Formats: sequence, C-alpha cells, structure tokens
Amino acid sequence: MTLEGRDLVCDYGPTRALDGVSASAQAGAILAVFGPNGAGKTTLLKALSGERRLDGGRVLFDGVPVSGTDPAWRARVGVVSHRTGLYEKLTVEENLRFFAGLHGQRAADDALRTALNRVGASALAAARVGELSRGQRQRAALARTLLHDPEVVFLDEPFTGLDPDGAALLEAALAELSTGKRIVVLATHDVARGLRLADRFLVLRCGRVALEDAAVGHQAPDVTAAFDATAALAPAEVAG
Amino acid sequence: MRELRWIWLFAAKDLRTELRSGGRLPAMAAFVVLAGFLFAVSLDRTQIPSRSVAAGLLWLVVLFAAIAGAGRTFDLEDRHGAFRHVLLAPVSRRAVFLGKTAANLVLLWLATALAFVAVTAFLGVRSPGALVAHGAVLLPGTVGLAAVGTFFGRVSSHSSLGDTLLPVLALPLLVPVVFFGATATARVFLDRPWPEVAGPVRLLWAFALGALAAGAVLFRHTAED
Repeated sequence: MTLEGRDLVCDYGPTRALDGVSASAQAGAILAVFGPNGAGKTTLLKALSGERRLDGGRVLFDGVPVSGTDPAWRARVGVVSHRTGLYEKLTVEENLRFFAGLHGQRAADDALRTALNRVGASALAAARVGELSRGQRQRAALARTLLHDPEVVFLDEPFTGLDPDGAALLEAALAELSTGKRIVVLATHDVARGLRLADRFLVLRCGRVALEDAAVGHQAPDVTAAFDATAALAPAEVAG
Repeated sequence: MRELRWIWLFAAKDLRTELRSGGRLPAMAAFVVLAGFLFAVSLDRTQIPSRSVAAGLLWLVVLFAAIAGAGRTFDLEDRHGAFRHVLLAPVSRRAVFLGKTAANLVLLWLATALAFVAVTAFLGVRSPGALVAHGAVLLPGTVGLAAVGTFFGRVSSHSSLGDTLLPVLALPLLVPVVFFGATATARVFLDRPWPEVAGPVRLLWAFALGALAAGAVLFRHTAED
C-alpha cells in the first residue's frame, strides 16, 4: 500500500500553506513530517487525509485518486491530534461506542476492548474523559482512532503536553501501529523522537519540501538546522 | 436504516451530554420563566385581555429560547475538536444535521412546555383552549425553529463573529414561523373551530419540512473545511 500526495497546493485566503508539495508513505513504515511553526505540517496531513480541500494536486492511494468527500476513503483513515477530539462529559466507553457507531460498527464490544487493550487503557473505559489526565486522554483518543482499524493513520503533534510516562506509552503504541499493514504519517516538533520512530522523514519550509530522506543516519541537530535557519521567513503569498 | 441509526446516535449523544453538562436547558428554562413573569407584570390586563396577547408572548418566548439554545449547539463539538473526528468518519452530513436538530427539538419541546405553563399562569389565562390543538400548532413551529437554529448555529460557530451572528441570520427567516404560529395559537386560545387553525398549521408544516430539507442538503457546506 502506498499513499502519495502529488504537487499538493492549499491556500488559506491569500496565504499559500502548501506550495506544490509531493510526499509518499508506504505501508508498515512511519513517515515523519518536520518543520517550524507555519511550515504547513498540519495542512499537509489534512490534505493527505482528505480533511482539507485541495487547491491543486491530488492524493493517490495505491495509485487511485482519493478525496475526503468519499465516505469510503474516510473509513480507511484515522487521525490523532494534540486535541483529543473526545466528549469530556461522556465516558471513554461511551465516546468509543459513539465513534464506532459513526463507522457503522454496531456490535463494538470486542473491537472496543481490543482497541483499549492495545493502548493500555482498558482500565479507563468507565471513566469520564473530563476526569482523565492528559496522557490518559491521549491514549483514549488513540483507541478511538484504532477502533475502525484504519489503513492510514495521521498523527498531528500527538506528544504535545504529555509527561514522559505518557509519551513513552504513546510511543510504544505508535511503534506497534506501524508493524502491521498500516501507513503512518506523523507530524511533530520533536525531531529526535520523530527520527527514532520514523523510517523516512521530510522537512517542510514555507509550504515546500526542503529535505526528504531515510531517517537512519540522521541526527536531530542536522535536521533541525535544516528548518531553523529559515524559520522566520514569511509564508509564500499567492501570486495574483 | 444506517442514516436513522446515525441520527439516533447523534441525538442520544447530544441529549446525554446536555443532561450531564446542564448548560442549555437550565438557561432556556430560566429565560422562559423570567420572560413570562416580566410580560405578566408589565401588561395592564384591565386594558388588554390576556388571551389576546398570550399567543404572541408565548411565541416570542419560544423563539428566543430556541435561539439561545441553538447558539450553544456546537460549543461542545468544537471545544476539544470532536467535530473534526465526526467529519472524518464516513457518516453523512445530512444525518449529523438531522441528529443535532432532533436533540435541539427535544430541548425546545421542554422549554416550550414550560413557556406555555409560565405564560398562561402569569397572564392568568383560565381556559387556554384544547391542549391537543396547541400541540398540533407548536409541533411544526418548533420543528422549523430547531432546524433553522441548528443550521445557523453551525454557521455562526464557524464564523469569527460567533453567537452574535446567529440572531442576525436566523431571526429574519423565522418571522413566518412566529407570525403563523402566533396566529394559529391565538385562535386556539379563543376556542375557534379547527378549520380556522388548520390553514396556518399547514403553512407551519410547509416551513418546517422546507427548513429540514434545506438544512439537510446545505449542512455539509457549513460543516466542512
């Protein structure tokens, strides 16, 4: 399985967030996306997942064009971000059942238990999300994402606000994620952690790919230097 | 079948969340009782018969309770980014709209029942007419209010103007609901025969079904990025 973005262009009003970005990710591997604030990391993930309408380019899954308007494509995608996307007044189990229902999973008991076990959150099922720590919420969010067994998982700054224990647990869960047939795309500021987890990486700078390579053999300072030097540059303006 | 299940899922989730957070319903109830009381003390009932003004006041209270409730429809959805994950699921936007409208409708019915009791009690309306007839008028009216409120609740939550935009967009569209609703309710209060009430009720149903259909079709344009 291959996910490929070709010449992706996304505009926010007059600001061009992605300017002809091409990227590809393979099954069983993690692609890390690095870059300074405003480089276009989140927009790239939204473009690839179909969450963001494209102003140019296309996204291909195994060579077939896909779009966020297609429910069949959305059923194959899972997203984890720094915002948990869970309802605080509901328990973890109620949240998971609700989202499982949206994915058409009626008898979700087994899937629910499996998803919670995989992220070490089975003890949290009856707890209201609003009463959980940040790390526990993030694990519940990951369980929600795994519930429908997505083929492509996008992780947008999933480690933000996590303590070392929470980060370690999430890291272990992510490592397990990529051992299957899944495609995993991870956007993060934490270059050292990203290089440790990823098989390949790319650096975005002002909406363009500045560097793309295999993670092996790269150190965090080298990669950080690639985007730090130009972090203060303004985003590209749309011509005309 | 799947659409119905999604609608049920959304309505049940919204009502459960509302029950636990207790945000909208107490606010709507407080407004309804306070408005009924203020209208009652500010009117000189020796000059204006209560039954003549009760219908208009009832519909005004219900209208503003609907707007107040609709303004917070998407608060909990957006607060922790849950709506992003709803939109990422393969659920139809039509079902999301209808599910949220159904939950708003249940809350609005509770507020409407309370408003009816408050207005008739505070204004001292001793014989308000047949309750079934009032229900037959209020049902299509509240469906229209809930549908328009839910749709524009999403539009305003998506806008930088926030809740201030909701009444500006919704109120002009809701004038027919209040006009036909108050006309029909006034006739019920005055014990007029049903054929005199049926005309405005048919128009209320036409508005309600039109609002539901338009909202179901257009909601995806307001929901997606």
